[in-house]
Amino acid sequence: MSGGFERLLDSVVRIDVQEFNFDDGARRIDSSIGSGVILSQDGLILTNAHVAGPKAVEINVTLSNLERVSAKLVGWDHWTDLSLLRLDLNDAKKRGLVFKHAEFGDSEKLYVGETVYAVGTPHGLTRTVTRGIISNNNRYFEDTEGVDGYETGNFNTWLQTDAAINPGNSGGPLVTEDGRIVGITSRAYLGANNLGFAIPSVIAKRVVAGLVQDGSITRSYVGIVLKALQDLEGFYDVATNTGVLIDSVEAGSPAAAAGLQAGDIILAVDGKKVDGRFPEQLPPIQNLIASLPVGSTMAIDCKRGSKDISSTIVTAKLESRMGEEWVSDTWGIAVRKISLAFARENQLLDDTGVLVIGVQRGFPADVAGIARGDIITKINQNPVSSVDVMKGIDAQYSEKPEPTLFEVQRERRVSLVVLKP
Amino acid sequence: MKIPTLLLCAVALATAVRSADLPALWADRVKCTVAVEYVTQTELERHPSVSYGTVVDSNGTIILPSAAIDLRISPKQLKDFRVYLPGDPEGTPAEYIGRDAFTGWHFVRAGAAVRDRMVPVTAFAKSGPREAELAEEVWGIGLRNKDEDFTPYILQSHVALVQSLPQRTAIAQQEVAGPGLPVFARDGQFLGLGASSFGQTFLEFSGSDRDGAPIMLVNLEESSAFLTAGEVLPYLGRIPKNEFGRPLAWLGAYGLEPMDREVASFLKLQSQSGAVVSEVLEGSPAEKAGLKAHDIILGVDGKPLPRFKPDRVVIDYVERLIAERAPGDTMVLSVLRGTDRIEISAKLDDEPRLVREADRMYFEKLGFTAREFVYGDAIARHTKATELNGVVAHLVKPNSPADIAGLRPDDWIKEIDGADAGSFTAAVQKLGDIEKDMMRSETVFLVSRGSDTAVLRIKLH
Repeated sequence: MSGGFERLLDSVVRIDVQEFNFDDGARRIDSSIGSGVILSQDGLILTNAHVAGPKAVEINVTLSNLERVSAKLVGWDHWTDLSLLRLDLNDAKKRGLVFKHAEFGDSEKLYVGETVYAVGTPHGLTRTVTRGIISNNNRYFEDTEGVDGYETGNFNTWLQTDAAINPGNSGGPLVTEDGRIVGITSRAYLGANNLGFAIPSVIAKRVVAGLVQDGSITRSYVGIVLKALQDLEGFYDVATNTGVLIDSVEAGSPAAAAGLQAGDIILAVDGKKVDGRFPEQLPPIQNLIASLPVGSTMAIDCKRGSKDISSTIVTAKLESRMGEEWVSDTWGIAVRKISLAFARENQLLDDTGVLVIGVQRGFPADVAGIARGDIITKINQNPVSSVDVMKGIDAQYSEKPEPTLFEVQRERRVSLVVLKP
Repeated sequence: MKIPTLLLCAVALATAVRSADLPALWADRVKCTVAVEYVTQTELERHPSVSYGTVVDSNGTIILPSAAIDLRISPKQLKDFRVYLPGDPEGTPAEYIGRDAFTGWHFVRAGAAVRDRMVPVTAFAKSGPREAELAEEVWGIGLRNKDEDFTPYILQSHVALVQSLPQRTAIAQQEVAGPGLPVFARDGQFLGLGASSFGQTFLEFSGSDRDGAPIMLVNLEESSAFLTAGEVLPYLGRIPKNEFGRPLAWLGAYGLEPMDREVASFLKLQSQSGAVVSEVLEGSPAEKAGLKAHDIILGVDGKPLPRFKPDRVVIDYVERLIAERAPGDTMVLSVLRGTDRIEISAKLDDEPRLVREADRMYFEKLGFTAREFVYGDAIARHTKATELNGVVAHLVKPNSPADIAGLRPDDWIKEIDGADAGSFTAAVQKLGDIEKDMMRSETVFLVSRGSDTAVLRIKLH
């Protein structure tokens, strides 16, 4: 065993997370186990966004010497399924605990067939090492609800490995023989044999730098859904290895404002030729756009039918489809702010209102007939423009409970209900 | 042990004496019942259905309940209607006349050959409509399945409850007639028509679940509920003029939702009933008259909306008030908007073309049916109803080129080969040309599905 590998084993941790679950319209706590890797002596730990996110109430880290230390969330990025934690160093110091940290390797240099190891906590079995090879170093998949309902995979491709990856491996490192991190193990096909996926270290390094700085990654948004041009080059009459197809333009988006249409072929972004013949080539193109500073002016060269079109798009900030969540203990209801993305997906007029994500049985909201999936648009005739509006009315209600009028939208039907103490 | 046996004898005797004439009444009245068979013929399959009907006049006109035919099916796809007299294995061809929007009934006319063997139900309602009374003894007719030659049989019960739903509906203690078949008083007078059965909740036990899980069962062959004679007799003459039941009165207030008691008292409307308008449809009479989304309709033509149990019934009530009218009629709505009460006078229109009226064309080589994009499609897709453009994929044949390319039913095809699909006629022309062109290896559609669009490449070989 190399010294580097030994060092790596000492930097892999088990992560126990207690997090809120609002599904029943109440503050319930779920427990889960994942893995992580210590990146620095100041206690930064890299793991998956789906292991520890903003809903975490308590995070406990088990070091390689089996000692337990609490940790806090530094920031997360569900798009790449990465989270950054920081150990409670004061506590560690007080207790005289020491730990090692691991180093990144270069995922770009991996070759298919190269031996890799996954280290983590599958099914709670702390410090398990499994071995395999890189099965594919450029796997593509996107998932709109992949990380607890959040989008993921739009800006990176994945490493695929046949090293055994089981639930609990999530967030652990995928390493080469010298113990260097080449990926963060993230997911596997359940019920399949040895089809595991990891976020490449080249992406992870960039995200870690961003999270250390701001606690989040800011990206640009233009509102286009791309599709590989595969098999369609002939139809659109474009040169080989040129262009990417716009499958869809989101209504009200910067791209729509710039006049782009579904069916257009993007040939170049800011003068740089794009090649989106195959699905694997889409994340880098999407990342190219997302990496522009918010508010940048982006020049697009397009082909529409036989016409060449040039237009400029001013990018906006990329927002997640999941808004702020909150639970009202008095009404027995959990809600999530409607985001612009959610409003667009569901063809709502605008982003006013909150989505009901949980209802507690027997509580006022349930008694009045409010159900999961409903959208609360007004309370006592006030538009619910933010969760704060609801919090304010809830506070008044808690102080002096009085019948309260809710306007609720279900599918496209509007009904009025009264919540009573 | 002796006493119960004696009692049983006494009960049996009493029943026997009282029902001495029932077989005779029954034998006459069975003649106003029929079974109706038809075939739903789609591009890919023929699907037979059977329902029960009641004869309403001497021209062989028969009414079937609304649920007898799926409203999403185009009348053009309804084929091979046959009328079977009870106990008759042969059947006679019949013609589908259409559906009346107000009653919901489908009208069918039996061929001349069997008309003289049928008796209209009106023959048993000479003294006009009479409402069933509480606890009254009632009986009705059921028909067995086709393999038993639709043999008629008798059902008997007592009236347990009469309610407005919003139609006056009697609910008997047990099943009293097949849906769509008549119910009579003890003396043979017509009392009503079997309605769709109400669900009953049962507990289902299984090996793993010993506490029982509630399940709702609905009897499709017999019903304990019937529409009273007053809801039937006055409307037997509403024979549709065409298979679509046109003209159809249209207001354009979409998604009416009941205002419940709690909300009424919150809004200081006390005992008032009401209907919340979810949306006002583009270009509709409601929009022209100034009705707005979220208005609450409290009354029609100066009369407040009555209160029903459950609250939801008021929606059917309002919808029937519209359906009862004709395009051109005026409807005055009393509306609550915020805290203001206003009167809105809407002149009803003929409803825009419905999906089941839309033109369709099947393309065998591509493997899908293109359907005309109609007003309702625009509403469903939140787009401008003035821009009725493109076609909708109505049916996609499994494993056809269209299916393999990812076309799905309800996809809205907006562009064909990079150009606007255009009107239904234009699109059908284009698709026809594509199919005819033997040299062609592919065609590309731009389709809209939900909030997304997608470019689909259909390979033709």
